[in-house]
Amino acid sequence: MGSDDYGKERALIEIRGLGKSFVGQDNETVEALRDVNLDVGENEFLTVLGPSGCGKTTLLKTIAGLIPWNDGDIRIDGTPVRGPGPDRSMVFQNFALLPWATVLDNVAFGLRMRGVGRAEREERARSLIAMVGLSGFETKRPGELSGGMQQRVGLARALAMRPRVLLMDEPFGAVDEQTRRLLQEELLSIWEEHRMTVVFITHSMEEAVLLGDRVVLMSARPGRISEIVPVPLERPRSSDVGALERSGQYVEITAYLWDRLRDMHEEHRPSKVAG
Amino acid sequence: MSALADHHSTRAAPARKRPSWRRLPAAPISLAAGAAAWELIGQLAGMSFFPPLSTVLARLADMATSGLIVTSLADSLVNLILGFAISLAAGLVAGVAMGRYRKVEAALGVYVYALLTAPSLVFAPIFFSLLGEGRGSIVAVVVMYAMFVIIINTASAIQSVPVHLVEMARSYGAGERQVLLRVMLPAAAPMIMAGVRLGVGRAVTGMINGEMFIAVVGLGRIVTQAGGRFDSAGVLAVLLVIIAVALGAVALVQAVDRRITRWVPRTTRGNQ
Ligand SMILES: Nc1ncnc2c1ncn2[C@@H]1O[C@H](COP(=O)(O)OP(=O)(O)OP(=O)(O)O)[C@@H](O)[C@H]1O
Ligand SMILES: [Mg+2]
Repeated sequence: MGSDDYGKERALIEIRGLGKSFVGQDNETVEALRDVNLDVGENEFLTVLGPSGCGKTTLLKTIAGLIPWNDGDIRIDGTPVRGPGPDRSMVFQNFALLPWATVLDNVAFGLRMRGVGRAEREERARSLIAMVGLSGFETKRPGELSGGMQQRVGLARALAMRPRVLLMDEPFGAVDEQTRRLLQEELLSIWEEHRMTVVFITHSMEEAVLLGDRVVLMSARPGRISEIVPVPLERPRSSDVGALERSGQYVEITAYLWDRLRDMHEEHRPSKVAG
Repeated sequence: MSALADHHSTRAAPARKRPSWRRLPAAPISLAAGAAAWELIGQLAGMSFFPPLSTVLARLADMATSGLIVTSLADSLVNLILGFAISLAAGLVAGVAMGRYRKVEAALGVYVYALLTAPSLVFAPIFFSLLGEGRGSIVAVVVMYAMFVIIINTASAIQSVPVHLVEMARSYGAGERQVLLRVMLPAAAPMIMAGVRLGVGRAVTGMINGEMFIAVVGLGRIVTQAGGRFDSAGVLAVLLVIIAVALGAVALVQAVDRRITRWVPRTTRGNQ
């Protein structure tokens, strides 16, 4: 685990010996993360893949500074994480938009929380709305938008903060297949133009390979990193996703990831009943 | 909306044959029917304690021209507005605190539920001896009637704000104040307003009860005096005014409610 550090540049996110347990409702302890060690390079696109309940969301929330942890240490650019900060923005699976606020106010929300004045935050919000292709929808409310459009709003809200680290928790998990492909391509082209560090959680092997520089494979009970798989596919990838998906390398890595995931599921299959 | 319009225009011919009462507005018809029934029963019964509507309306006109109603109504409305404003302010603060902080809920919950269910009028003598015969006592009764239902609705509204919205706000650097003002209150607004609607109706009841049993002022005084003279038409005339006040207050709250909660999808509301 220590050998796969991202050697090219100095790591932006350094996670050392991270451990996190939850105390459940019946006072039993759930070990969500154990001894997680991970370096994420500056401007790296890291995808995290693993079975349900293996602690992916927990890992992301600790990096975001949203939940405390029990053991270990998380640093961003050498500074220990003590809580949420303007250097990190999060995109949520269920979008987490304010249903009463317009698209413009939703996108400007983070800036407002950080005390950016009205004129500036609306200007920045408008340019982000244009970037995610929602110009003309500024005064609509989330209830009037499709799922894909809502997540564009979520993405614009995150990007408006100009974060160094973008934390995405299965951002395209709640939209249909076609919309998901469009959003993936758009995210790729936005990232190719405005480089930043991305930690992207997903259930989909294809998505993990298409987007990531490396894929972190996590296993469950307790949640830990079982392997880190590099994805040496060429960039930029947004120009011809179709060709990329037909390439031998892509197919090979996806198949390898599925082999490893299937092993994990077998390990944790409920033991067969006698008979 | 447009679907409904289409429906009507394309099927105009058969609609003509359908019973036309379907298109009549429900509320005015119901009111007219009630008034007619009142008049009819009153005339037929011929009993002094249940005068027909026309007699009551004539009595109301008398009271209005003599100026009695206007001064009493103004008096009552001041009591109502003061009491309701206090209920609203205190109810929102206490409700938000109880909904957000478990300790506050544990400390205040028992009292709030006890006072919500207790018949509020039993406190009238206490207010009377504490605050005297003046406006203070009546306002206190109004508060007793209206505040607790606002507290309880606000507390559960705050508790049912989706956790993921709070988490989102915190991830963008919102502090406790911003979480409360920018996320929890707007998210809880529809349910809070439901409590406020209940509260305003109860405030009107409290106002009348306070005026009848403590200070004998305002509309409550006219009711008491007319009752003492066995003047049923007078009692019912004031009752009409009280009902108008209550409906007006509720309509006002509803108008505010609609403005605040325009974003809530109306799909669950029937439109037949
Ligand atoms: N607030 C909490 N209280 C108690 N247990 C929790 C809490 N949050 C997460 N857990 C537990 O921690 C473990 C990891 O949860 P987490 O949500 O991080 O998994 P995940 O990998 O994101 O799952 P999924 O793929 O389904 O989103 C699970 O067993 C979960 O039940
Ligand atoms: Mg998750």
